[in-house]
Amino acid sequence: MTFAPTVTLYVALACYTLGTLAALASLFSRDKRLQYLGLVAMIGGFVAHTVWIGTICVNTGHPPITNLPEAVSFVAWLVFAFELALWIRYRVYAAVFFVYPLVLLMLTISAVVGENFQVLDPNLRSNVFTAHLLLSTVGVASLLIGLAFSLLALMQDRALKNKTRGRLWEWIPSLDICKKVSYRALAIGFSIYTLGLLAGVLWSYRTDAGFMDLRVKQIGAVTAWILFGVLLQSFITNTYRRKRTLFISAGAFVAIVVAMLGIRG
Amino acid sequence: MPLILVGLNHRTAPVDVRERLNVPDHKLAETTLELRDLEGVDGATVISTCNRVEAVVSTRDEDVIAHLVDWLAARASTVRTDLERHLYILRHGDVVRHLFRVASGLDSMILGEPQIGGQVRKAFHAAMELGTLDPLLQQVCEHTLRVSKRVRTDTGIGEHAVSVPYAAVELAKKIFGDLRGLQVLLLGAGEMGELTAEHLHAQNVKQVFVANRSFERASELAERFEGAAVNFDRIDEQLHRCDIVVASTGAPHFLIEPQHVTRALEARRNRNLFLIDLSVPRNINPAVAGIDGAYLYNVDDLQQVADANLELRQRKALDAEEIVLREVEAFRKRLVAQDAVPTILELQQRLEAIRTAELEKCLRKMGPMTAEQHQAVEMFSSQLVNKILHYPILELKEASDEPQERESLRRTIRKIFGLR
Repeated sequence: MTFAPTVTLYVALACYTLGTLAALASLFSRDKRLQYLGLVAMIGGFVAHTVWIGTICVNTGHPPITNLPEAVSFVAWLVFAFELALWIRYRVYAAVFFVYPLVLLMLTISAVVGENFQVLDPNLRSNVFTAHLLLSTVGVASLLIGLAFSLLALMQDRALKNKTRGRLWEWIPSLDICKKVSYRALAIGFSIYTLGLLAGVLWSYRTDAGFMDLRVKQIGAVTAWILFGVLLQSFITNTYRRKRTLFISAGAFVAIVVAMLGIRG
Repeated sequence: MPLILVGLNHRTAPVDVRERLNVPDHKLAETTLELRDLEGVDGATVISTCNRVEAVVSTRDEDVIAHLVDWLAARASTVRTDLERHLYILRHGDVVRHLFRVASGLDSMILGEPQIGGQVRKAFHAAMELGTLDPLLQQVCEHTLRVSKRVRTDTGIGEHAVSVPYAAVELAKKIFGDLRGLQVLLLGAGEMGELTAEHLHAQNVKQVFVANRSFERASELAERFEGAAVNFDRIDEQLHRCDIVVASTGAPHFLIEPQHVTRALEARRNRNLFLIDLSVPRNINPAVAGIDGAYLYNVDDLQQVADANLELRQRKALDAEEIVLREVEAFRKRLVAQDAVPTILELQQRLEAIRTAELEKCLRKMGPMTAEQHQAVEMFSSQLVNKILHYPILELKEASDEPQERESLRRTIRKIFGLR
């Protein structure tokens, strides 16, 4: 039994596109009204996205995380949900320049890949497997938010140290808020992601797949885990200001992408 | 719009003239009532700040200007001719535009300063409570406050500090966010440092420690900021307890060296430290700027921030001016439309009466008709009347804001359509 993408996915995609364009336009025009327009469009997209995810859950009877389009879409949904909560709490305008395009990109991948939604093979169903999928996706979403805020913290630190203002100066919240949010998101995301990986290892061990078969997604996932661990450590020891943070962040992001794309394999 | 504004400000009058006309808060009500009681004045309000004094009135009599100037001269205890050279006199639409600009901070000495909005609001509320506003001036005041709010919200013109002490506070907020709960160390009693500490204190910081060569002076200042005086020779021990350090002493050498800051940061578990050096010669070794977690700004850096903010405000002021122009036009149209309402209603009633009478005659002559035919004739007559009325109504609504021109147009239309 398979299910094709519904119209709600395309509605979500259209709203996210509009929201991202409005947010990026506000970066150049420095107009807060455009940001609000972008936020409204993104919330519209989020509602459609939620309906789409709900439809998959109802039709397949399990969370939408069993193949690439489902997993990517679910991570995008979680990332926006986290971003919305942070926006309400801290009014962080600058994060939208990273988060909106990321959400749009992920949902576009989900729509373009065109893999039909699958009903999970009953032989593979188990609580450990569900826990692995849920914990991994929630962990990834939290880590991506942490990544976005760590970049904001780095930019804010550079701007304050060099006494220069970039285009984002007005939109970035205080250095302490950026640090606090990135540290918490990375710490929580890393813990959840670790549990997700452990659940995955346990599940692999119980099935024919073996303890660790070193396919692309496993290598990507473990590399991302190491790099996010290093990033978190740099916040704990307050060494996040160094240039290596940029390289680690980029590497962690690529590794996560590789791990997610590897879901197809 | 029968509005008149007579006033002076920091550009037209020196401070000795402005101070003579200044209206203190406790005399605002009395002065506003005095203004309203002048001959020919229908509604009145007085705006008085340290940089301007303006009398705004609604009137049907242009001669009121002479009374206003005499009244101001009497208040300034000077002769009319002496005061006149400092005054500006605005009429009608210019009054509205001026008030919108003033309340938005576009006419202020410090462009975009936020205080003026509150001062204008206070003046208008006082007049409203005293009942010195007639319906026209009431609308002007309400619209002015709305425009002021819109300009500030849409452009953010007042958001950036344009003075050195405020720039320091703005930067502190960029580092720490909320300043409540932070501890400040003020080194020395220089004027700029004192002012900066005052602004920080106003942000509800937890405590201000003051260190000065003279412990007595330090205690005096600490008392003012509800803080504590500390021994000048033990500032190194105090450093780790503070989040913000303001140095403003006359010492000819560095008081804070990189090793002091490194030790303080270690003790603070790497929580950020903001150091503001307002002294010349500098009191904080510039090498401190290279330490992770320490943010050092000297007086030139802060001045650059203030200058950059001023440039930003100037750019935002262009957007603000556009908003003001659009709002003036919208307000003008609203007033003109309101003014034209009685004539428009009369015109519509007159033509409706003609239409009904003529339709009745026509239907009698035509004899029996089907319901559809009756409806078609009815519709034809209504549409004809609407078409005839379209341009006169449009002209009435979009008339000039000059009362005489508007009255002339109204009279012509009334004459053409035979209205009383």
